[in-house]
Amino acid sequence: MAYVKLTTLRKIVFSLAGVALMLFAGISFYRIRHLKEPVVLGQGVTQVKKLSDYFKGIKGTINDSYVYMLEGEEAGGTVLVIGGTHPEEPAARLAAWIFTENALLEQGKLLVILSANRSATTVTRLGGAYPPDYTIETPWGGQKFRMGDRWSNPLDQWPDPEVYIHYPSRQELAYIDIRNLNRTWPGRPNGTLTEKTCFAIIQLIKEENVDIAIDLHEAELQYPVISTIVAHQNGQDLAAMASMMISGMEGFDIGMENSPEALHGLSHREIGDHTDAISLLLEAPEPMLDATRGRTDRALLLEGKDEFIVKAGKHGLLFEKMDENGWPIDKRVGRHCSTILQIIELWSEEHQEKALIIKNVPRYKEIIAKGTGAFLHNPATAASNRIKYE
Amino acid sequence: MKKIQTAAVIFLSFLIISGVSWLNAAENDGPKADLPVIVSSCGQSPGPALLKVLFMKMKLEHKPKAYEINPLATADDLIKMKEAGTPYRTLIIVMGASLKGMGAAGISIDDELVRTKKLIEEARNQSITLIGAHIEGMKRRAQGASAGDNTDELSIDAVAPASDFLIINKAGDEDGRFTTIANEKNIPMVSVEKNLELLEELKKIFTK
Repeated sequence: MAYVKLTTLRKIVFSLAGVALMLFAGISFYRIRHLKEPVVLGQGVTQVKKLSDYFKGIKGTINDSYVYMLEGEEAGGTVLVIGGTHPEEPAARLAAWIFTENALLEQGKLLVILSANRSATTVTRLGGAYPPDYTIETPWGGQKFRMGDRWSNPLDQWPDPEVYIHYPSRQELAYIDIRNLNRTWPGRPNGTLTEKTCFAIIQLIKEENVDIAIDLHEAELQYPVISTIVAHQNGQDLAAMASMMISGMEGFDIGMENSPEALHGLSHREIGDHTDAISLLLEAPEPMLDATRGRTDRALLLEGKDEFIVKAGKHGLLFEKMDENGWPIDKRVGRHCSTILQIIELWSEEHQEKALIIKNVPRYKEIIAKGTGAFLHNPATAASNRIKYE
Repeated sequence: MKKIQTAAVIFLSFLIISGVSWLNAAENDGPKADLPVIVSSCGQSPGPALLKVLFMKMKLEHKPKAYEINPLATADDLIKMKEAGTPYRTLIIVMGASLKGMGAAGISIDDELVRTKKLIEEARNQSITLIGAHIEGMKRRAQGASAGDNTDELSIDAVAPASDFLIINKAGDEDGRFTTIANEKNIPMVSVEKNLELLEELKKIFTK
């Protein structure tokens, strides 16, 4: 009898502990899923649309993300900057944020998406003990952002298949990549949430006659496709020239890679194959993504310093240099901003009728000197109709 | 006396003119190559695309075509141009391997080495100038590659020692690999810090 009571008591204690853990985790998940990230619309933003304006099938879903439109008085070309394909690569979103809050267009049209896969911004790597958020220091205080993951939140898209068969190529990919926005291009209207999101962006590219689509990313240092511009064959010349101009003028080196024709689902392949846009993908180094990293915390995310990755470099295991100075977020954001600007400037030189003239966007050296936060604007002092929340 | 003065003036003038000419010649020193040029690859890295935009910028004039970019060029391509009466005069082979590039082309480094060997042999038969180029830095060196991957180094071994001269981005020569080959084989080497400098270097090479 006493034994039964003890067993029951133990069950109750463990159940209560489980409930307490669930409650604690649940509150944390809820908070991060509903964290509001303010976007102060810069003077250059002329319209804010949503992906559902281009594909109704995504209306009402978490991935019905904003599309910020910056239009010059003079007609010209159209460039789409895609941030937040993989939200765990924060320099991509932050660079897009800087363009949205600062850029002034004199000619042409710039479209910016900050959370291409908004669902993926609401979760971190399951079991990875990633920080749920990070804060960028600014002259007016800190601005908090969701950390995010590489894949859509399973709360929004579940279950995963045993094998993911890409549409339309029928290429077999890892099962989890059915929730990876950079494996589901070009998408389809009746597919999963992630596929529908890609389909919506493809419709946007077609409807807005986008000339260049630039998908922003970060990569681990143990991955060979790093510090580079991956180019569809329709953008090889532009990427090659940008690579040389940047390495010669901006103060950092960036290479180029050709988009493999037989590797499907990626933006640099499918946007180029399924639309008239030149498709480019930019990769900056992010040590936090490396498998051999040490403690996975906010400091690693923002400062990019890690003694274990330095050691990996000494053993010749890295594809990018790594020392005790690490890869701070300002460097990574600066690389993306300068690369986008160089690509647009080179494009505009060669296509004057389709040119874009963009002012007021900081370049690599300025972002390193002043910090990313210097280019984020204070929502407390902005007019309420000039604020959106991601 | 007057004749001596006149002779002295003529002699000095000759010295000055020849000196200026010598200085000009010194400025234009360095390896030279002729058009048309074909750019290929050993390892299918994107290097030929970088050279393509430089040649586009240079706006070289040569009929029927100043340059051709063919990462998978074969010995037969050289033979065909010769038979058509417009032989290539220069072959640039970009060294450095891309596993993605080779995968996309459905070939292996072994295929690349066989093709490159035949290409170089045919270039030798036709007295085509061979330039080995390594312009993508340490990214196209074995360091940092996957464990056991020596495709970059195999590509370099296949091309660099056989080259008439080398064009190198210094970032790829941090360990002195190309300097050693150049010194041992007495091969002239053009080195640049940044690939943008290649524009001027290629102008010097292809301009008489």
